[in-house]
Amino acid sequence: MNNIQPSLEIDVAGIRMKNPVMTASGTFGYGSEYVDFIDLNKLGAVVVKGITSVPWAGNSMPRIFETPSGMLNAIGLQNVGVDGFIDKKLPYLRNFDVPVIVNICGEQVGEYLEVTEKLDAADGVAAIELNISCPNLHCGGMSFGVDPKLTDELVKGVRGKTTLPLLVKLSPNVTDITVIARAAEGAGADGLSVINTALGMAIDINTRRPQLANVTGGLSGPAIKPIALRMVWQVYNAVSIPIIGMGGIMNGEDAIEFCIAGAAAVAVGTANFINPRASLDVVEGITEYLERHGMRSIEKLVGSLEVP
Amino acid sequence: MLVPTKKFDLPTEVISNELVAENHYLLRCSCPEIAAGALPGQFIHVLIPQGSGLLLRRPFTIYTVEGDEITMLYQLIGEGTNVLSSLKRSDSIRVLGPLGNTFEISPAPDPAVIVGGGAGIASLMLLAAALRENGAHALGLVGSMNSARLLSVEDLEAIGIETYIATDDGSVGHHGFVTELLMEILETHEMKNPQIYACGPDGMLRVVTKIALDYRIPAQLAMENRMGCALGVCLGCVCKVRMPSGGFEYQRVCTEGPVFNAEDIIW
Repeated sequence: MNNIQPSLEIDVAGIRMKNPVMTASGTFGYGSEYVDFIDLNKLGAVVVKGITSVPWAGNSMPRIFETPSGMLNAIGLQNVGVDGFIDKKLPYLRNFDVPVIVNICGEQVGEYLEVTEKLDAADGVAAIELNISCPNLHCGGMSFGVDPKLTDELVKGVRGKTTLPLLVKLSPNVTDITVIARAAEGAGADGLSVINTALGMAIDINTRRPQLANVTGGLSGPAIKPIALRMVWQVYNAVSIPIIGMGGIMNGEDAIEFCIAGAAAVAVGTANFINPRASLDVVEGITEYLERHGMRSIEKLVGSLEVP
Repeated sequence: MLVPTKKFDLPTEVISNELVAENHYLLRCSCPEIAAGALPGQFIHVLIPQGSGLLLRRPFTIYTVEGDEITMLYQLIGEGTNVLSSLKRSDSIRVLGPLGNTFEISPAPDPAVIVGGGAGIASLMLLAAALRENGAHALGLVGSMNSARLLSVEDLEAIGIETYIATDDGSVGHHGFVTELLMEILETHEMKNPQIYACGPDGMLRVVTKIALDYRIPAQLAMENRMGCALGVCLGCVCKVRMPSGGFEYQRVCTEGPVFNAEDIIW
């Protein structure tokens, strides 16, 4: 036994965090929903539900469906809008000593820019996560994240409106994720969130109707973990900005896998629905792993995959 | 009525899990913190044991609270409930709760007309008990496919609630829908300050709503939906609710609900 106390503190994309574990957007509300179960101060960062320029009603029902080891959703970005977020949600989060990362989305470039300007002026926003990968919008959202030219244009636009650290959340629903990753990096992204949900669907064979009103939805949970890991590895080898790995992380061991594949930090998503303490369990799991392996920090693990 | 109840996620053991009617089970477990805070209409989110291959929890209404123990009355409807029904005494489960809002029961209804369709009656038992504790006059209307699936009649009668039965096949009670029974009760009983409380299949709730509007009787519905987190973050369990401004809003069954005013629901 050795007595090395690992330090989990890291700086990722200019965001100083107590540990490398964030909550994935859309799976942690605005933070307040989880305070009966965890101390938000113990998280690396809180990434809030996607915000748009005006409140969005969201899609009709049904919106979710469980599939083997996964979950399909087509919520349609129901949210309070940027003004509602700044007035009603952000003040509560300022009570905590945790970086707040705001996920933003829109149908048009102008909407992203408007939201960015408002967040840049608000007190208590540590970083912006640009959602160019929501699969449940008919225009905007993912369409920006499947075309490198549109990615470049949008990221450059948002970059010009803020000095806050800028993360870009990538879609797995592309032929080559490295093309989009490079476009985002070239346009000024400080880090990349890899990955958003994978587009999928499910059918009720008795009624022959889709299980989601939106027909298709985003697949999350352990079912997509191998895809997410593969994409983190590909992006790690294509860019030099840090990666936040996400997609089916349920425990510390899953998180370590992402780090080995190239993630400098991780985000816990669907696991929050099943275990409200999941994000802190991941922090503890990472600490135990580092202790067991006599490592002082995760930095040496990042991208340490031993390729035979 | 929205209530800020503290929520707990507790590991516990099954005390009993018995078949109480065809296709329906009653599971009992000890959850002191949840039992202490549980209000009528509230529910728990149950983690299906590891190894089942299922990912998400399943929501169930709290049927009764007895000391530190709570029970849930559930219908077998899919894989999750099938796994649950196989649990034996001392098997481990995790229970998250108490969740959701509660029924409005003041001013005291006279009578309170409780209308349960199938397993929907389970969402109304804590309410029935609370109404009786407040000394309110309450009538219980229980609908079922047939006599073999009939639920809760003895439990309602045990707390002094005058109970009426409707079965689809006429094997016991009124031959037909529980909503027909509701109309009959409204026509034949003295109604001073009537209030309707209902839970059941969507089709039934739509008819209850129509009757309540026709008779100008306030009605509260306990809604059901597929749920992800049950904590208000995934936004998967919404229903469409009419707003005073004229528009609508998707509200969460797990947080703004499960109890809604019938007239506010847009079907």
